[in-house]
Amino acid sequence: MSHENVKERELFFGPAHPGSGNFCVKLMVDGEKVLSARADPGYLHRGFEKLMEYRDTMQNAVLSDRICVFEPLAWNLVHAEAVDGLMGVDVPERASYIRVIMAELSRIQSHLIWYGGMSMGIGFDTGFKMAFGYRDYILDIFELITGGRVYPAGYICPGGVRKDMPDTAREKILDVLKRIDEIKMLEKFENPTLLPRLKNVGVLELKDTIRLGATGFVMRASGMRTDVRKDDSYEVYDQLDFDIPIQNDGDAYSRFLVGIREIEESIKIIRQALDELPKGRLKPIKPKLSTKIPEGEIYIRNEVARGEAAMHMVSDGTGSPYRCKIRGPSFLHMIPVLEYLLKGVQIADVPAIYWSLNPCPADMDR
Amino acid sequence: MSKEKALVEKIERKFGVKGKAERKRIWINIRKENMIDLCRYLKELGFEHLSAISVTDFIKRGKYELVYVVWSYHDNIAIIVKSEIEREKPVISSVTEIWKESAQIHERELHELFGVEFEGNADLSELFLENWKESPPFRKDFNWREYVGKKYYYKQDEKEKIYLEAGI
Amino acid sequence: MKEELKLKRLVKSIWVFNWFNSCGVTELLPMVGSRWDMERFGMILVDSPRHADCLIIGGYQTEKSMVRVKRIYEQMPEPRVVVALGSCTMSGGMYWDSYNTIKKLEDYMPVDLYIPGCPPRPEAVFQGVYEIMKENGGVKDE
Repeated sequence: MSHENVKERELFFGPAHPGSGNFCVKLMVDGEKVLSARADPGYLHRGFEKLMEYRDTMQNAVLSDRICVFEPLAWNLVHAEAVDGLMGVDVPERASYIRVIMAELSRIQSHLIWYGGMSMGIGFDTGFKMAFGYRDYILDIFELITGGRVYPAGYICPGGVRKDMPDTAREKILDVLKRIDEIKMLEKFENPTLLPRLKNVGVLELKDTIRLGATGFVMRASGMRTDVRKDDSYEVYDQLDFDIPIQNDGDAYSRFLVGIREIEESIKIIRQALDELPKGRLKPIKPKLSTKIPEGEIYIRNEVARGEAAMHMVSDGTGSPYRCKIRGPSFLHMIPVLEYLLKGVQIADVPAIYWSLNPCPADMDR
Repeated sequence: MSKEKALVEKIERKFGVKGKAERKRIWINIRKENMIDLCRYLKELGFEHLSAISVTDFIKRGKYELVYVVWSYHDNIAIIVKSEIEREKPVISSVTEIWKESAQIHERELHELFGVEFEGNADLSELFLENWKESPPFRKDFNWREYVGKKYYYKQDEKEKIYLEAGI
Repeated sequence: MKEELKLKRLVKSIWVFNWFNSCGVTELLPMVGSRWDMERFGMILVDSPRHADCLIIGGYQTEKSMVRVKRIYEQMPEPRVVVALGSCTMSGGMYWDSYNTIKKLEDYMPVDLYIPGCPPRPEAVFQGVYEIMKENGGVKDE
């Protein structure tokens, strides 16, 4: 077999590549151009949905941190809402406001990991150090309130929150928010480092978004006005005042800008929630192993940092769920959307497109 | 609630099924033969976003229940369509011609984890697992604790057994 | 003369291979950042297993990813060190009854150091590296 006839080669943009996360994309290339891409997930598959059937409610609240390793508090909230809905429990209003504050802090922290990873993939070292530097301030707040830097051990649990916020938390949160405002500086790096690598790269038009399953910030960057916190409101979001940032170009730079605006909106929400926090003290929730969930089923949709997160829980009257289906936003973003966007691009653009979709391999594989 | 009630009545009249309306959610049970017609009708009504497809394994009744969740950006309502198939030979027609790529990837995952055959889906190759030869892992008759005990914990080292037995 | 020059133990700076997967990545990436700066101890991230001295396994592994980790371990030149983070590498951890994760890392490759935690803090990882360097004679006793 002579080598002149072989035009296509297969390349692995794989799990141990310096520019990617834990996820492999197999590319067929011809010279420098990508002809087609095929996603190869499953390096982090634990079988989450069936693990939850072997454990009871309070154990599941702790396990639900680890559905997506980058934003544990947001998935805690999805699980807690599902069980609250099935049991018909009304959460006290102060607990609801604390849940919103923790979920928004988790959203800011997750976007900062996104920018750090994107800078590492593009080769922009200053952005990586800045993003992870600011993120550490938020992890200090988590340690003060929940006890753990990364995994809060089921802080948002069915019935409210595990224990109340300490009195010093309010000062600390306001102080950290003032520092994070400086992250707007990242947008000013318009000159040679970010702009040519991200502009007009990985363009997703509005007519293709719904068919490919895109949700959340990917649709907002292509021009569609949608947010689960406004359309299908949960907790106290309908009493808070915030905007939905929209961009119209649909390229990687638009997704980056939507992320920065979302950080600003989250800061606005946290300030309002801290002002409107009802007075009083919450009783701590003790884990009781004898709670039974009544029969029924429920479908909960939430807006996490990466898009639309959903959980379908079926209960048969015992303490564990009978079936718990988890819909992760990255499952749709990284398989159909990525395979569509990588057709016909240059190899050097592949990391920029991959990171601009905010991948979380853990909630894709579950 | 009036929008949800009006929609439920329209669907009940056209297909002869019973539906339940809650705030922003509508639940409908339908037979397997009429499911594709209902899905096509829902797509025309504006339910363009397929949120999830799931399977619940009712081992006592001997049936798999398929759950399709669709969302409309225009009405801000989710419709959940449920339909039952046999558990021993689970076959149903695919909805990829209606909801295209997002349906295709959900069906591929369910084929690997539950063993459901979707007729009309072009690509049902393996997704998460490599060289998996046993039964589909999420079925209720595949006991994970026994499988893990045999494979890892009951090995030559007797000390390992306590990890498994303490948990059961 | 030539035998004395051959490097037998890791004495000074330890270069880490960039296999950051599963839960450990949330605490290992800040270690590269400026607050828990790992470069002051002489550790840097490298992208090729041929340049690396140390492989940090940051959490649970599945059957599929263990095949790739073994290939990476075989490509690393001697002397090399394997550090296992978290409780999932010791006895299965939180996913002890999952059908797809491995339960003990020692069944697949020799491990030099275990660091407990879920995930362990950056200070704990630095103490672990300090123990390795002390054992190899790279740290002067006070």
